[in-house]
Amino acid sequence: MRSVIERILNLLAFLLTVERPVTAEEIRMTVAGYDQVSDDAWRRMFERDKDLLRSLGIPLELRPTDVWEVEDGYVVPAEDYSLPDPGLTDEEQAALWLASNVVRLGGGAPGAAALFKLGGSPLAAAGEPLAADLGRNTSGLAEVFLALSERRMIRFGYRGRPRRVAPYGLVHRRGHWYVVGAEEPGSTVKVFRMDRAEELEATGKRDAFTPPEGFRASDEIPEAPWEAGGDDLEAIVEFDPSIAWWARRQLTGRSAVITRPDGGLTATLQVANPDAFIGWLIAFEDAAEVLEPQELRDRIVARIEGRS
Amino acid sequence: MSSSRTAVRLNRILAMLPWVLANPGATVEEVCTRFDYTRAQLAADLDLVFVCGLPGYGPGDLMVAYIDEEEVVVEMADYFAEAMRLTPREALSLLASAMAVLGSGQPAPALERAVAKLQAVVLPDASQALTIALPEPEFVGELRTAAADGTVVAITYTAIATGATTQRDVEPWSAFTTLGNWYLRGYCRSAQAERVFRIDRIQHVAATDESFTPSVVAPVPVVRYTPGEEDVRAVIRLGTSARWIADYYPVEVLEEDEDALTIRFSASEPAVAARILARLGPDAELIDGDEVAVALADLRQRILGRYVG
Repeated sequence: MRSVIERILNLLAFLLTVERPVTAEEIRMTVAGYDQVSDDAWRRMFERDKDLLRSLGIPLELRPTDVWEVEDGYVVPAEDYSLPDPGLTDEEQAALWLASNVVRLGGGAPGAAALFKLGGSPLAAAGEPLAADLGRNTSGLAEVFLALSERRMIRFGYRGRPRRVAPYGLVHRRGHWYVVGAEEPGSTVKVFRMDRAEELEATGKRDAFTPPEGFRASDEIPEAPWEAGGDDLEAIVEFDPSIAWWARRQLTGRSAVITRPDGGLTATLQVANPDAFIGWLIAFEDAAEVLEPQELRDRIVARIEGRS
Repeated sequence: MSSSRTAVRLNRILAMLPWVLANPGATVEEVCTRFDYTRAQLAADLDLVFVCGLPGYGPGDLMVAYIDEEEVVVEMADYFAEAMRLTPREALSLLASAMAVLGSGQPAPALERAVAKLQAVVLPDASQALTIALPEPEFVGELRTAAADGTVVAITYTAIATGATTQRDVEPWSAFTTLGNWYLRGYCRSAQAERVFRIDRIQHVAATDESFTPSVVAPVPVVRYTPGEEDVRAVIRLGTSARWIADYYPVEVLEEDEDALTIRFSASEPAVAARILARLGPDAELIDGDEVAVALADLRQRILGRYVG
């Protein structure tokens, strides 16, 4: 391992100071650690080293070595290599450290690597620990985050059809990640659940769109899953007394709730996503019933009978 | 050595160098604390830096790095003066963690400032683009306080699987959130065993006069239902739009192809699997599991009873 690290420190020192694209051959002849190996060994070694650099977040790009563009060479652009100093105080650094220790994303903590880049942590911070798991399936999240920061379009499959979306925001709410954006810059803002997005990737040029003025991602995600999506349907639902306490906790401010004399509830809900609504309602088994509209009753029957 | 351990070590060196260059006179102790080094590890990394540098690789080309008395000295390494940028995954994880803590509503002014500064760097034009909302249900605050004070609480709990309501005395250890739900973990004196309770299924909490000694071990946010021997099992075929089930429940994937995922689902009660199947409708098919089939037929009949006939 020692020799690998020495070789990579030498390689990076060279690339950061040379200020021009250098060909693989020049690297092999110049940087200590690559000499004395066969052609095959050199190629494998150099491939591994490039992967390692990129895994650390170091931008390693190929650019033409001269205006005739006959040959390409490697370059680490200084402006992309470094992190602008966020200017964190020791106390702020410690707070970040603590937060990163009690939250899991993709099964793990953010890890020390990121904190080290920010200058480590001066002290273990004391505080109220929150333990939170933000989800195990994180595929696509980092890609959306990158696209957000560079304002690039993303494309993915969603409900059986390909989409191209300008990502305005990324939101975690009650166990789900959502990407908020518009299919055409400037058109209606839509919400997509990340775990339903397939083969997501950033695409196209940087600065491809501008989010609407005053955009706040959090405003777009409804409090309840059934409030996301298309046009509202007003539903009247009866909850039996036995589960009234549990229903009451889950009804949002957009619902009008009446307590009946028997202790049960009659609630008027705004349903924008009937699928999500039906999924939620089934948790109450036969202790809840949609009274109106008939259309929604029909859909519930169809779902229960396994027809749609 | 695996390449990931190499990456970890290299990352730490490339993070430590800029900090030491920016903080001349830093002590061994400071550097070790910040970057989680032992003294020997730090000395070894400095030795390694000492033999690296620019082509030529003579005394004037190599970096200088050593420990002088208690001071860490790094010179001739200006090209490593800047800290590396965060990868998108690192930036997202850090911000999301910090926002999760803030999003739960606990006051943390230092963390709030840290998030603002970090966002200004990694999402300069999109400060409202990332949001983490983990709204706390009723009782979380009370349970946290009881956990910190070592107060035994009496809870009224309605189990999600069976719908049965019980009274229990619990030594609360920690409240945590995973995949959208909040849970209480603790020692249930009534069951004389460790238990996990869904906080939204707790109808009532009252402090008792009893106390216990809180554990010093920090709570760890693991939690997924672990299948037990007594569990019912069912084999279910999930269509494309139902695949997400595999991310939310402890399932075993038996077969995967273009159109479907076949899983083995475990639950403490058949009713749990039946509810999931009922809500998925035609997106899921029960392949095997008699108890679940009975529970599903019963559930369907009861719900349809309210709508048909």
